[in-house]
Amino acid sequence: MLKISQLRANVAGRSILKGVDLEVRAGEVHAIMGPNGSGKSTLAQVLAGREDYEVTGGSVTFDGADLLAMPAEERARAGLFLGFQYPVEIPGVNNAYLLKAALNAKRKRAGLAEVDAYEFLSLIKAKMKFMGMDESFLGRGVNEGFSGGEKKRNEILQMLVLEPRLALLDETDSGLDIDALKVVAKGVNSLRSAERSIVLVTHYQRLLDYVEPDHVHVFADGRILKSGDKTLALALEARGYDWLREGRVA
Amino acid sequence: MNTARDKDAALRSFEAAWRARPADRIAATRTDAMQRFLALGLPGARDESWRYTNLRALAGRPFVDAEPAPSARASWLAGFCGSAVEIVNGRPSPAAIESVGDPALSIESLRAAIDRDPASLAARLESIGAAESERWALLNRALFVDGLRVRIAGRATAPLLIVHSAESARDDAAVHSRVIVEVDAGAEATIIEHHLGGSGHATLVNHATQLHLAPGASVDHYRVFSSDDRTTHFDALEVVQAADSRCRQFTVAIGGALVRANLSGRLDAPGAEHDSHALLVGRAARQVDCVNAIVHAASRTTSRQTARALAAGSSRVVFNSRVLVEAGTAGASSNQSCRGLLLSPTAEIDTRPQLEILADDVKCAHGATTGRLDPNMLFYLLSRGIDRAAAQTLLIYAFLDDLLTGMSLPGARRAIEDALIGELPGADLLRSTR
Ligand SMILES: Nc1ncnc2c1ncn2[C@@H]1O[C@H](COP(=O)(O)OP(=O)(O)O)[C@@H](O)[C@H]1O
Ligand SMILES: [Mg+2]
Repeated sequence: MLKISQLRANVAGRSILKGVDLEVRAGEVHAIMGPNGSGKSTLAQVLAGREDYEVTGGSVTFDGADLLAMPAEERARAGLFLGFQYPVEIPGVNNAYLLKAALNAKRKRAGLAEVDAYEFLSLIKAKMKFMGMDESFLGRGVNEGFSGGEKKRNEILQMLVLEPRLALLDETDSGLDIDALKVVAKGVNSLRSAERSIVLVTHYQRLLDYVEPDHVHVFADGRILKSGDKTLALALEARGYDWLREGRVA
Repeated sequence: MNTARDKDAALRSFEAAWRARPADRIAATRTDAMQRFLALGLPGARDESWRYTNLRALAGRPFVDAEPAPSARASWLAGFCGSAVEIVNGRPSPAAIESVGDPALSIESLRAAIDRDPASLAARLESIGAAESERWALLNRALFVDGLRVRIAGRATAPLLIVHSAESARDDAAVHSRVIVEVDAGAEATIIEHHLGGSGHATLVNHATQLHLAPGASVDHYRVFSSDDRTTHFDALEVVQAADSRCRQFTVAIGGALVRANLSGRLDAPGAEHDSHALLVGRAARQVDCVNAIVHAASRTTSRQTARALAAGSSRVVFNSRVLVEAGTAGASSNQSCRGLLLSPTAEIDTRPQLEILADDVKCAHGATTGRLDPNMLFYLLSRGIDRAAAQTLLIYAFLDDLLTGMSLPGARRAIEDALIGELPGADLLRSTR
């Protein structure tokens, strides 16, 4: 589904991604772990199509198509979803409106008619209930005045409404208490299926207790340093990232 | 040839128009105004409040009085208003004045008011146009052909709409008109002035409105400029407020080639409250120049000014607001907030909040920021599959949101939003979404 080869990118003129290789097949859940500042969010944003991050080499295909040639909005409609590490507050743009416009954009690409207003409302209310969100969030500005945990839930809500083929969740678990973490994990697990893939960028092993990954990658200094199964995450938890860095030198 | 052009052609033509007018019962005050105007001349680059708007081209063009013309246009603000009076080329329709049925309102044409009560009218007329920045109001006093005098004695049942249309088939027509609104103690009303028209010709509209609020009076006043892109507006609005009176003022500029909108407010007695909102939209080559001056002349007076400026194309939007708190007052409070959004590299927004505080016990705050669309917000919307043009329009709307939701009349807000949508890029996409 997603194939990244030797991807390199600059941010503000500085080389951040230094040759990323990753393949994600349909139905798989991948976890990417790594120290702060190693470029995990940069990778996620480059994949989602952020324009001010300059790709300097490599290629990415999504369902066989050249992902890097598509503008951000087109990637989203094709089924790629980025859950932001820092969801943006947009006062004055209504949360419900954003959800509806996003859903309709996707439907339009699939040749479907706009979603019926009543149908949309009942869909969204059911998803909100599932995510333990109060309906009053619908009437508010996008992420406006939301707490950190509310913002993350809102990202998952959007994901559930849009049902992407590939979800990139950038530290959706950070800053959550254990109850919120369980709700987020429940949302992610509900999306798991043979046609969909999920990439979790995370700092901690904690989320992986609830969403079990098929593959775990360690990301450091702009590339994937080591890949393995979920036991790699446990080893990292026990011994820290330095263990890997030392191992590399040795 | 350019060099042969008379750089004072406008001034001379105004003088000629004044000489050609038959004398009326306020000839003395008109003569006084004209002589002062001629002595001062048109504002130039050296005049502080005209720094941003260059009138050199206009000054070199002679103007003639716009002829009377038949009623021409429907206002898109009519839907939620009670009575409507149309003023075409400065002349109100007598039938429309007759038809105003609200018992709280009494309306007459300024011509009728001049004949009936010249002394009190002359005194009223003189309160505006004293400042150098109000030279067009001075000229207006000399030259206004007609207009309205509205007295509000109770609680008006529905908004009163005054439609100003400029209709001329030539490129040198000038319209001078005035509206005077007097609000009795405790009375309440909403007045909407809608400036439209232009007929595709380079018309000059020099209008002045005076609002006088007695103690405890409450007025919502809207002035909306949606003329075609060849019309030039000089608009002077004066608000004088007595004790415990309240004025909410909305200035909306979404049309015209040049809109110079002055607002001069005087809070004359304790408890007076003034709240002004300006929505200034520049696009193509339009110039919008909004100049507010609020004077706190008494204790416990409050003023708030909010402006949202939007500039696309090669337009220029200026918001200049000055607050003066006079000596000897206590407990005045003032707040100025101005935000600008630039939509093109060739557009320009200039904001200047100014404070002059001559008293000790005051609470004043001001802020002015201008920027472009936030790339993080834009990326967030794009990453959800929203069309780029729609995302931009959404963010523009978000920028205007608090100003629009602050409008006191839901009907006015909806109508203005609809008109705005037509002015913005990606408009159609947005229409379906609200
Ligand atoms: N917008 C930006 N401008 C400049 N530097 C940035 C920007 N975003 C990220 N960086 C830098 O890129 C590097 C990688 O950051 P990031 O991808 O956020 O790391 P991670 O998500 O792994 O913590 C860091 O050194 C960070 O300071
Ligand atoms: Mg990060």
